[in-house]
Amino acid sequence: MPDTPAESQRKPIPERFQVAKATLRFDTFMGYAIQVGGVAIIVAVFGILAFILAQVLPLFGKAEVTERRAVPGETAPSPTATSSPAIGLDEWAELPFSFSGGDAVTFTDLKGERGTFTLPVEIPGEAKISTFAYNPAGNRLEIGTSDGRVGSATISYTAEFTDGIRTIVPTIEVGKFHKVGSERTPVEAIGYGASDSKQLYAALVGGKLHVVTLKEKRGLFGKGKVTKDLELDLSDKLTSPPDRLLVAKDGRGIMAISRKAGSIDYLYLNGGEFTLRQTVHPFADREDTKSIARADFLFGDVSLVTSSTSGALRIFSLFRPEGQSDRIFGQTKAFPDLPSGTTFFVPSLRNKAFLTGTGNTVGLYYATTGAVRWSDDLPFETRSAAIDGKFKTIALADTTGTVHLLNLDDHHPEAGAKAFFGKIWYEGANKPEYTWASTGGSGDFEVKLSMMPLIFGSLKGTIYALLFAIPIALLAAIYTSQFLNWKIKRVIKPTMEIMASLPSVVLGFIGALWLAPVLETKVPSVLLLCLGLPSAAALIGWAWNQLPVEKRCKLKPGYEFLVFVPILIFLAYAFWNLGPVLERICFTVPDPLTGKPISDFRVWWPEVTGTPFEQRNSLVVGFVMGFAVIPIIFTIAEDALSNVPPALIAGSSALGASRWQVVRTVVLPIASAGIFSALMIGFGRAVGETMIMVMATGNTPVMEWNIFNGMRTLAANIAVELPEAPKGSTHFRALFLGALLLFLFTFVLNTLAELLRHRLRERYKLV
Amino acid sequence: MLDPSYIKIQDFSFWYGAKKALHGINMDIPESQITALIGPSGCGKSTLLRNMNRMNDLIDGVRHEGDITLDGTSLYDPTVEVISLRKRVGMVFQKYNPFAKTIYENVVFSLRVAGRNSKKELDETVERSLKGAALWDEVKDRLHESAFSLSGGQMQRLCIARAIANRPQILLMDEPCAALDPIATLKIEELMLKLKEEFTIVIVTHNMQQAMRCSDKTAFFYLGKLIEFNDTKSIFETPKEAQTEEYISGRFS
Repeated sequence: MPDTPAESQRKPIPERFQVAKATLRFDTFMGYAIQVGGVAIIVAVFGILAFILAQVLPLFGKAEVTERRAVPGETAPSPTATSSPAIGLDEWAELPFSFSGGDAVTFTDLKGERGTFTLPVEIPGEAKISTFAYNPAGNRLEIGTSDGRVGSATISYTAEFTDGIRTIVPTIEVGKFHKVGSERTPVEAIGYGASDSKQLYAALVGGKLHVVTLKEKRGLFGKGKVTKDLELDLSDKLTSPPDRLLVAKDGRGIMAISRKAGSIDYLYLNGGEFTLRQTVHPFADREDTKSIARADFLFGDVSLVTSSTSGALRIFSLFRPEGQSDRIFGQTKAFPDLPSGTTFFVPSLRNKAFLTGTGNTVGLYYATTGAVRWSDDLPFETRSAAIDGKFKTIALADTTGTVHLLNLDDHHPEAGAKAFFGKIWYEGANKPEYTWASTGGSGDFEVKLSMMPLIFGSLKGTIYALLFAIPIALLAAIYTSQFLNWKIKRVIKPTMEIMASLPSVVLGFIGALWLAPVLETKVPSVLLLCLGLPSAAALIGWAWNQLPVEKRCKLKPGYEFLVFVPILIFLAYAFWNLGPVLERICFTVPDPLTGKPISDFRVWWPEVTGTPFEQRNSLVVGFVMGFAVIPIIFTIAEDALSNVPPALIAGSSALGASRWQVVRTVVLPIASAGIFSALMIGFGRAVGETMIMVMATGNTPVMEWNIFNGMRTLAANIAVELPEAPKGSTHFRALFLGALLLFLFTFVLNTLAELLRHRLRERYKLV
Repeated sequence: MLDPSYIKIQDFSFWYGAKKALHGINMDIPESQITALIGPSGCGKSTLLRNMNRMNDLIDGVRHEGDITLDGTSLYDPTVEVISLRKRVGMVFQKYNPFAKTIYENVVFSLRVAGRNSKKELDETVERSLKGAALWDEVKDRLHESAFSLSGGQMQRLCIARAIANRPQILLMDEPCAALDPIATLKIEELMLKLKEEFTIVIVTHNMQQAMRCSDKTAFFYLGKLIEFNDTKSIFETPKEAQTEEYISGRFS
């Protein structure tokens, strides 16, 4: 049967046609190795993205609150008290106390064997407590007595160790009491504030507002005696009779709250005298009710959290209205309405959060962002609340006296989309604004995490750098590739490439320590150079073309620079030295200090434009970063221009096009895709540039286009602040958010650029 | 009366860097005729052609000795404007090189760069040049399409149309049919014979039949030297030099 030959019968392939086994093996191996490399790069990029996302995402979470335990407490709150009861927590949240105005504070040991026990509040004399106010900052109870005296009791916790077991021992220290007013009538409301050397009690006695200031004599050996300094009756300064008092912690501002009238009188101590600075009507615009349910200071005592009896919740902060010197209160935030006026309030001592609510409703709010971090309807009615110093535990006391302990899991209360991208009216600011100020000097500092100034700074730095770099780099690339003699081009190109490898820290160093001080005094010269040199160059070019060809032909094409460069150098020298002359003519203003005319651009600029002049400014950054970017744009653009097929250049030259016409009509369109890539790579370098930005700018996160002040970029911000940001903190994660923005920024831009480049290439592709 | 020596090449030598490509060429190219330059690859015929409108200026590191004159003026006189020279001496390249523009814009390129933008003049030029290049009938309905939509032969004729749009005095053709199929080649040859009435044509070709069919005079180059220059008929029928005979009879190439 004549069928196909069997396997064994098939003719062997001659050796010279066979491929060596080693070649095949190596081929396969290299195939896999390249695949592994390629996949590894993709994995690495996505890995970085995933890591950054993992750092950033927790910023946008809400607070989680879970029940820990409930502790039965005082069953019958003291009926004599006019104030709502106070509860507080120790540092470890193991020994909460509650106080309802009786003669003792009740402690509950949650960890040890001590159970519930009380410690007495021993007031000197025979009087009872008629009113008290609890200030969680310092664990102080400000106390007013039935016989018209004021004083305080401080609850302090100390940890004692026996056999390695920690026991927390509470103590109550009762301070000295001071008589207020002349009558022995009960104190109805009390407020207290203290600065370094002064203490101030405000007390409501018999419907009158009495103020007592105390002075502490300080000797060489520490604290001295406290003596009464001033005693004033401020009732006649008020607009309506108050029923609650707040004193700011500096001991100078008194808020007299009249709940029924719905007004708060703001009295301020200045030069030994109190004046009524403002009367706030927080709910004057509300239809339903204007009366106030509660008003309390937020941590820091510059913001008032007010609640109307109908449940509106608003924050009023001190700000300085334009054109005025005194700071007054204005509404900065509003929260969603509660079912009715709040009955309890406690600020966090770690941030700008506060816990408030009414009836069964409890909410944790964040003042800066105006966000509701957590809100719930609980099965019990809360009468008072506490937040521990670590912002980890919430204690709520219900009407039966039971203390409910809740776990608070809110790691980033100050974060959120609004905090990063929204305009926020910060405490003390005059209007809503974008601000980055991640760390402050004091514990009650309001953290400001707006990304906007950083995004703005990145754009500003990039734009000023590119404004300087793009014209120079592109023109240089066109000149070098199309006009310059090839012998010189051979030297110039590698030189520029070496320039590209200059470390940016060196450039930043030069910029900050040499260029910035030089430019500071030479702005008019720079101005002359920037305007004069390009126009001079254009003029020389024009004049050159007007020369008769017999004269021109003495220089071979490509060597014209031998004429141009010396003239330009001379002109640059002349312009540089003419700067002071220009300064004298154009930039003379009266010196704000002496009134005499002064010719100094550094004085002129702020006088005329109202914007600051700084030594390390965007101009310096533009120049120095331009230096970093120019070689990159130049090299890539030059390659693109040089790669235009010579046949096309020859074709258009043969049709009588001049050198510039060849460049404009043939070379530039074909090289456009490559030039565009060069610009994008330059842009990417400028956006991500860090060291130059850190060193040569002032690093102030301002949002002004002013060329004579600095900026802070996303990249510089990370470099400057990451070392001081605790791992996992909001600050740390916010810096990663900056990194993510930078990543997205370049990613989106590069994708768009690639699409555009592709279209350009399609349009001008060759046969 | 025609000037028999319109382009005069006098003792012309040319170097690419250190390599000498042309050795003392002497040659008179007559007006209104087709002169063919033939010879094996690398013999210098293209180099000589490209020197007739100074296209070699675009190449780095070249130099020359001797002279080429056009109408009695040296091309290398320092006062000669190269741009103006190239307007007088047009060129068609071996590989068609249309610009990434429309057919219309390709043809009027030489007018545009001269700053002549009158619509009427441009339209007339396009029609005349495309008719001159025997392309008009094929493209008259799609003048504003990309030049890349044409076939290879059409693109080369477009390049010819482009070269004659500004009516140069001389047309240099560097192997214009090298990349074309026989039918397109034939069309270009017919075209050359027609163009001869208006322009002086110098053509470099590898195709012996082409030189024989179209040219009036033929020059044979070998290793950078002009071996023989005579009427085409004489060169192909009674070559004086042995090398010429060997070449045209195909014994070497």
